[in-house]
Amino acid sequence: MRGREKLFLLIAIVAAVGLSFASGSFNRYYLGIAIDVGINIILAVSLNLINGHTGQFSLGHAGFMAVGGYMAAKLTLVCGPMLPPAAQPFLFLGALLLGGIVAALAGLAVGVPSLRLRGDYLAIVTLGFGEIIRVIFQTSDFFGAATGLVGISKLTSFGWAWGFAAITVYIVASLVNSTYGRGFIAVHDDEIAASAMGINPVRYKVTAFVFGAFFAGIAGGLYAHHKAVLSPGGFDFLKSIEIVVMVILGGMGRTAGVVLAAIILTILPELLRGVSEYRMIIYSLLIIGLMLTRPQGLFTFGKK
Amino acid sequence: MSAPLLELDKVTIKFGGLTAVSEVDIRIGEGELIGLIGPNGAGKTTAFNLITGVYQPTSGKIHFRGKPTAGVKPHLLSLHGISRTFQNIRLFSSMTVFDNVRTAMQGNRAQRVRDALIRGKSFREVEARVEHEAMELLKIFGLDEMRETNGKSLPYGDQRRLEIVRALATKPKLLLLDEPAAGMNPTEKRELMDLIRFVKDKFQISVLLVEHDMKVVMGICERINVLDYGKKIAEGTPDEIRSNPKVIAAYLGKDFDDA
Repeated sequence: MRGREKLFLLIAIVAAVGLSFASGSFNRYYLGIAIDVGINIILAVSLNLINGHTGQFSLGHAGFMAVGGYMAAKLTLVCGPMLPPAAQPFLFLGALLLGGIVAALAGLAVGVPSLRLRGDYLAIVTLGFGEIIRVIFQTSDFFGAATGLVGISKLTSFGWAWGFAAITVYIVASLVNSTYGRGFIAVHDDEIAASAMGINPVRYKVTAFVFGAFFAGIAGGLYAHHKAVLSPGGFDFLKSIEIVVMVILGGMGRTAGVVLAAIILTILPELLRGVSEYRMIIYSLLIIGLMLTRPQGLFTFGKK
Repeated sequence: MSAPLLELDKVTIKFGGLTAVSEVDIRIGEGELIGLIGPNGAGKTTAFNLITGVYQPTSGKIHFRGKPTAGVKPHLLSLHGISRTFQNIRLFSSMTVFDNVRTAMQGNRAQRVRDALIRGKSFREVEARVEHEAMELLKIFGLDEMRETNGKSLPYGDQRRLEIVRALATKPKLLLLDEPAAGMNPTEKRELMDLIRFVKDKFQISVLLVEHDMKVVMGICERINVLDYGKKIAEGTPDEIRSNPKVIAAYLGKDFDDA
């Protein structure tokens, strides 16, 4: 067991970056989807820490993503032109981390007061938070108001997206698969019993929110530098729901299942482009059918 | 008598107009096995929740190891040495038997976030130690064979035992057992009585037992407190309690002539 997890992380990052160097020869369209998949893995796995492992129903993930995206994009837009090309990757890394940290702070700010709430009430508060964030960006001239930010350099490559996806999986899985991490699941299973056993539920919930929001922020930064434009409309309620669906479909609290669900749910709408008018109907029907036949999630393999 | 481990001094709690527990005094010394009995709705579980910090008393004081527990959160009281089981079993339902036990060990902050992320030498040492201690505990209670079984799929009696193991994993000074014999058959009850005595002696702890089953309470408790309508109506040895007219009246009801 010694160092196995770290080895996995190293191999995944090397593979992602290695493939990235070869990506010039790939079809641009498929490459774009592959990057989307990487970003969605980050979003789904980080939300899984909050909704799946810790059992807190958050609908604000798009809000955290927006915070990270706008912060990162603003930084590269302002500082990018001043720096030589060689420094761009470092600027990008800094921008992503800045986005992640600001999103984590937002997670802390939302987390602490709203963690006195449970279930539906928490869902409503996080939903409200997501909308507030979107409206703030929509009305702030500094962040381009309703137009959003344009002309963001396309810095996100396959390696960046999948490298961070690997880091996210490593960190969430490491957190949960430890004696420390059993606390998240204890809070999910029974908060009263958890606190009677010396587990501080508030601390675990806030930790889950901060880590979850941090990676949502990173994903936002990657998204911004992948699409090259950011508009507040992209971070609405539907985006949060999309991520929640990935988590539910993947089997709440099962990292491997959630990764698979993120891959499938990103590719599926693309496959359905041929029947574009019915795309959302088919997508919705598939989800309803799934919930009826497999309410425990599509993939229930892998330990919790 | 030395300073008691736990002392309730005129503890009262009101929920709106209802006084659930009224001016109750309870003392538990080191290594004692104390019973708390009373008819349904007498306030026994409420008293438990007061001791474990789930509720705060409206008035009166609770001292544990000489320190007041007012305002101390349940998880901190657990770290200070109060552990409990629940009337309706509250195991961690998605976890294995082994994970249920090791989760209770994390209460002592065996690991922190960075240990789990860095996975260095100290992390592996803690994991190994926790595994060893958890398995030792499970072995004592004959549950080690079931380590990878989901806790909730154990037979009922084993679930009760696992809850006690989990409570012991927090290394308590005082163990509160909330109706551990509920739903058990006579054989299981006899085993439970042996188990409670064994736990008390082996781990050198005090036990406060809430129980409906008179045979169990009378059979193992050194002293018994009786609650009725939130008030303590009697305290004494099992023999004293058995012949106490107030207790008999509370359990069997009074004749109209006496009233």
